[in-house]
Amino acid sequence: MREQDEVYRWLDRHALVLAFWLPLGFLALALFLNGYRLTSDWLVGGAFAALLAAFVSHIIVNAVYQTFFSSRELALGLVLYLAGLLLFLFALLFGADKTQALFGSIGIGFLVLAVAVIFYLVTHLGVRRAFEAFDVISDFRRRRDERDQPS
Amino acid sequence: MTALLIAVLGFFLVAGLYLATVTARRLAAPEDYLDGGRSLPGWCFAFAGTGILIAGLGLYDHYLLLALFGLQYSHVALGLILAALAGAILQKRLWLAARISGRKTLGDLLGAYYGSPALRVLLVILLLLFTLPFAAQSLSRLGLVVETASAGALPRTAVIWVMAVFLFLGGVIGGWRALLYVVAGQSLLLLTLIGLTAGVGAVALDWTAIIGGQLEAGPGVLAYEIPGVVQDSAGLGKEAAVGGIWTTTAILSAALGLVGLVISPAFVFLVLTTAKGRGFAVQQVWMTSGLGVGALLLLTPLIAAGLGLAAPEALAGGLVSYAAVFQQFIALDLIYAVGFALMLVVALQIPVALFTQAGASLLVIELFGRFVLPGLRDGERRFAARVALAAIYLLVALLASFAPLWSEIVGAMTLSLSLQFLPAILGLCWLRWISRAAVLTGLIFGFLLVLFTEPLGLVLFEALFVELPWGRWPLTIHSAAWGLVFNLAACLLVSIFTLRADDRAERERLHALFARDYAQRQISPALRTAIWSLVLIWAFFAFGPGAILGNSFFSEPVFAGTALTLALPSLWIWQIVFWFLGVFLVWWLAYQARLSILEEPAAETLPLGPRERGFAEAAPGFFTRILERVAKR
Repeated sequence: MREQDEVYRWLDRHALVLAFWLPLGFLALALFLNGYRLTSDWLVGGAFAALLAAFVSHIIVNAVYQTFFSSRELALGLVLYLAGLLLFLFALLFGADKTQALFGSIGIGFLVLAVAVIFYLVTHLGVRRAFEAFDVISDFRRRRDERDQPS
Repeated sequence: MTALLIAVLGFFLVAGLYLATVTARRLAAPEDYLDGGRSLPGWCFAFAGTGILIAGLGLYDHYLLLALFGLQYSHVALGLILAALAGAILQKRLWLAARISGRKTLGDLLGAYYGSPALRVLLVILLLLFTLPFAAQSLSRLGLVVETASAGALPRTAVIWVMAVFLFLGGVIGGWRALLYVVAGQSLLLLTLIGLTAGVGAVALDWTAIIGGQLEAGPGVLAYEIPGVVQDSAGLGKEAAVGGIWTTTAILSAALGLVGLVISPAFVFLVLTTAKGRGFAVQQVWMTSGLGVGALLLLTPLIAAGLGLAAPEALAGGLVSYAAVFQQFIALDLIYAVGFALMLVVALQIPVALFTQAGASLLVIELFGRFVLPGLRDGERRFAARVALAAIYLLVALLASFAPLWSEIVGAMTLSLSLQFLPAILGLCWLRWISRAAVLTGLIFGFLLVLFTEPLGLVLFEALFVELPWGRWPLTIHSAAWGLVFNLAACLLVSIFTLRADDRAERERLHALFARDYAQRQISPALRTAIWSLVLIWAFFAFGPGAILGNSFFSEPVFAGTALTLALPSLWIWQIVFWFLGVFLVWWLAYQARLSILEEPAAETLPLGPRERGFAEAAPGFFTRILERVAKR
């Protein structure tokens, strides 16, 4: 019964996270595309605000269910963030006029997201464990050692 | 536009399938497929319930009617607070009754409580009305929306079948729990898109004309006023009401129709499969009364104004559609046009997904599991539910594709018919003196009145016999209220004569248990009177006859003797004021009176229905008396 309850809890949390990210993600996409087309700092800022709202919702879900981000969520978040950042840098380097015009709002948006993530990790885990959360090599070694240990 | 629309719709459909697959992989128990383990989280109920109520209001029609009738129709949105109040009064007791009796569905509960197979059969018929025509009506409109948005590139029929296949796949894989996850997510998406569309329209397309009092409505309609308390009108199709049909009586009676959604078999199934906690209270107070009604009152008038502004000639001719608005959005930005289409699609998809899935589960529990194949094991029941779901989707898609008008006509009656079960549910939850005979008599009257104040009954009767002197909703009273008034009258009358009926003792057992173990928090009689008096006063002024004061209460104050120029129309301010008051009242009932806080049911269980009577009870009175005298000797 307890095992079944755990399954329900996992599913409930997963669905709730998606329920927040999908609408707010679409909102961010719509505002960003329109803001980019019109070269509007306000709309681009609104898009990052929507992403920030989704992230805060995710933290609230974590608090309610007394969990942390899953490794898949962390990986997906990091990949998307880095991909976005790289796109932004390439666009700047290769001289997209609109990106240069929107440098302030996009740059601040990325910065605010990064600060929000770091702030949450540090307040939630402490500085050392926050770094450890991203220490993939140690984690890999620990798992390998555990696997290799004779049972 | 078409490619982006397909991409976005496809993304959300695939996300739904993903959630269904994950749920199916994690939940191995077959019974979970049917009822989600009867432990749906409170947030799921809170979000999904709100989306279902907004979708049940008919967002697709809501915008069109708002454009045609202006703020007089917007008042109907306050009806969601009435639905929330009904939820606060009924849902906890229904949930408790189901948990302590081990019953799983509304039909099961009512059938056992009143000892009436007829009630079960009537509820199955109603369920089929929900699952087939109501869902088909929504699916047909969904096809139309996508066809309009894509300027005909995606034909309506193709969209209907593709959507039906995707929705079926999600349902057949994930079952009830996965479906509710998806609906809950869609509800948040719906609220977000209403906000996005209204915001973009107000800023970029100047949809704020309604605020300045320059809104045009349909021909002969008062856009900023409620046209009277009631009108001596023969009804739609026979005689046009002066200044618009949405009198205070029409608003109140249409709001009652929304209560019909809250007590529909599918919605009650959602109630009964929710876990204990504060989900009911959150849904009733913050999500539906707060966010939902707020979005409908504050934002949808802007969107409706946009419909009128986009095609003023069509509006002047009494016609309005979404085509012109799509063109405006496409000119502005494709992604906004897709967002607008997505909002309508989600609002139409929610009832399709919910009623078909609930229909399949309830058909198996109510019909196959009980009468046709009672010996089914859990795995076989799941298989039966999947087969039922396939059959339902096939029928719904066929109806939506080839009989959309028929679906509209029958689907229009569904909420009104559902409301006719209110006396039965009130009897189960609170009023122990309502008897089986009273309920059934009331239902017959209620059904007949609904039938003869809606197109189906009118068209059939007039085609077969003679012309009737009334049309749809005579005296500007919605069919839901026509049915309920006669239903309640018959029910009360018969109850008077059946106060001492034999089966009352059976019903008393449940109420005795309610009174003993589940009494509401001790509140003084004075406070209780104050609460209910306030509710009645609020209802009187919010959408009862008193709402007529809102036409000019703020723009022409009684004692000022002069007209004021306000930033908002007087009626809109009135609606906003009574929205706030309504939220407060629902909060008071749901939280303070604890009508919507679910606690763990006591350990004692109570099998509902006629119990096995001992010889002394079952034998005729004269026989037991003779036996006693003989035994004493």
